[in-house]
Amino acid sequence: MATTVPPRPATREEIAILARNAGLDLPPDLFEELVQAYGNVEPMLMRLRRGRDRADEPAQVFDPRKFMPRED
Amino acid sequence: MGTPLHELTIAEAGRRFRARTLSPVELTQAYLARIAALDSTLNSFITLTPERALDEARAAERLFAQGIDTGPMQGIPYGLKDIYDTAGLLTTAHSKLLETHVPTQDSAVQARLRAGGGVLLGKQATWEFAMGGPSLDLPWPPARNPWDLSRSPMGSSSGAGAAIAAGLCPAATGSDTGGSIRMPASVCGIAGLKPTYGLVSRYGVQPNSYSFDHCGPMAWTVEDCALMLTVMAGYDPRDPGSLDLPPEDYAAGLSAPVAGLRIGVVRHWYEDELEAAPAVIAAMDASIATFRRLGCTVSEVRLPSLRTFTDSKMPLTAAEIFTLHEHDLRTRPRVFGRSMRFRILAGALLRADDYVQAMRARAELTAITFAVMKNVDILLTAGSAQPAPELLPDEPPTFFGAKTPSLTAQFNLTGQPALAVCNGFDAAGLPLGMQLAGRPGEDALVLRLGHAFERATQFRHRRPEIDVSAQAVAAQ
Repeated sequence: MATTVPPRPATREEIAILARNAGLDLPPDLFEELVQAYGNVEPMLMRLRRGRDRADEPAQVFDPRKFMPRED
Repeated sequence: MGTPLHELTIAEAGRRFRARTLSPVELTQAYLARIAALDSTLNSFITLTPERALDEARAAERLFAQGIDTGPMQGIPYGLKDIYDTAGLLTTAHSKLLETHVPTQDSAVQARLRAGGGVLLGKQATWEFAMGGPSLDLPWPPARNPWDLSRSPMGSSSGAGAAIAAGLCPAATGSDTGGSIRMPASVCGIAGLKPTYGLVSRYGVQPNSYSFDHCGPMAWTVEDCALMLTVMAGYDPRDPGSLDLPPEDYAAGLSAPVAGLRIGVVRHWYEDELEAAPAVIAAMDASIATFRRLGCTVSEVRLPSLRTFTDSKMPLTAAEIFTLHEHDLRTRPRVFGRSMRFRILAGALLRADDYVQAMRARAELTAITFAVMKNVDILLTAGSAQPAPELLPDEPPTFFGAKTPSLTAQFNLTGQPALAVCNGFDAAGLPLGMQLAGRPGEDALVLRLGHAFERATQFRHRRPEIDVSAQAVAAQ
């Protein structure tokens, strides 16, 4: 039976992996800034992860007409 | 004694131009002199363009003499937030990264204001890329609030708010990604409109977050915002979010009656969730009484919590702004100010599903808000829970919405028009503001209600005593 891993704050090691995946190679003092900064947004991300109806679509809508060449 | 030239509204200056009792050159000279006298204290401008301004004022004067009228901005001096591109003129975003950046093209808004006969006084201070600050580690100092020079005009359209309140320009452009027009307008005691998303082109404006960025007018009065919006708004295929709507004169119906309009007060946002200052709550109660006297129907409504809106908005902003700056963050992160860097770094760590979940929340919150607005025409809430804060650098740096949810960003999430209007002063004489938010596309209605409020109250007659306080600071 599948289980859900309860959300918990990322460890410094996990943040380092996420940063590396994002292409960031930060010196120690800026890595500290990143850890602090992520600590501010992470609780928001955790609160966003909740059960939703599969039909709940995101707010952005792809409109192919916007990509037609302009007349001029 | 008549009204000093620097206190003329756009509407009044326009009437005098057309009656030939005032020259655009005379008005421009008055503002340039006032800027020269006061802005070394206020720091509201980054770049001044006095010669160009006088040339443009003379050109406007010639048009009036020839009987040519290009609209309400003809001959009106204005400032541009320094994220709006100006061809051949420094555009810095208040950042070391763009310290010598000179665009080759005008932003769409600047092109419209220029074609409309406006007189560009210069480029105005912001927070770095309309995001990080206030900061002391940038090439230019942060702007100060003319009502109390030890306080912040907030941001990020900080130069615009400070300059208009101080009478250094009658009109300015702002941008609003989470409240950057409405917060400075509220704490500087002026008017500022975040129009419906897509009404004013973002083309040629340094982006902050693509899906939240709004360009809009800031001025001393709501009427002046309406006059500016008439020139600034318009479909632009170069902006993917631009709305293809017919041109509208936003000042035309301003004086129509407001009796019968239904106003929904979102009291729990400022009173329960943010514990607003007693003066803010008193000003809101007095404003509600004013709207009732004007014949509006006022009732309280409940919407999702500010925390819920902020939780959706800030991860989206973090992700979008990181994609804008990721190359510089990877290659030269120390060129950013510390506050800016702190506010954009975390976006690197967001996953795709974080973004999608936040967008799903955005859809849900927007639908709930508009469902409530089936029964009310306008939402009313405070513009800021507190008067202007002390001007202190963002040190240690903070992340928007982490400690306290935003009182303005919910209307960036929904994209609906939201107007900040001065609705009183606290015991120390600091201005207070409220927000009026309408349905998408109903910008004219929001402006009409704000204009009616200003005409029914006396708050537009009070100005900061900047001359005295500037001298005091200079003497320190």
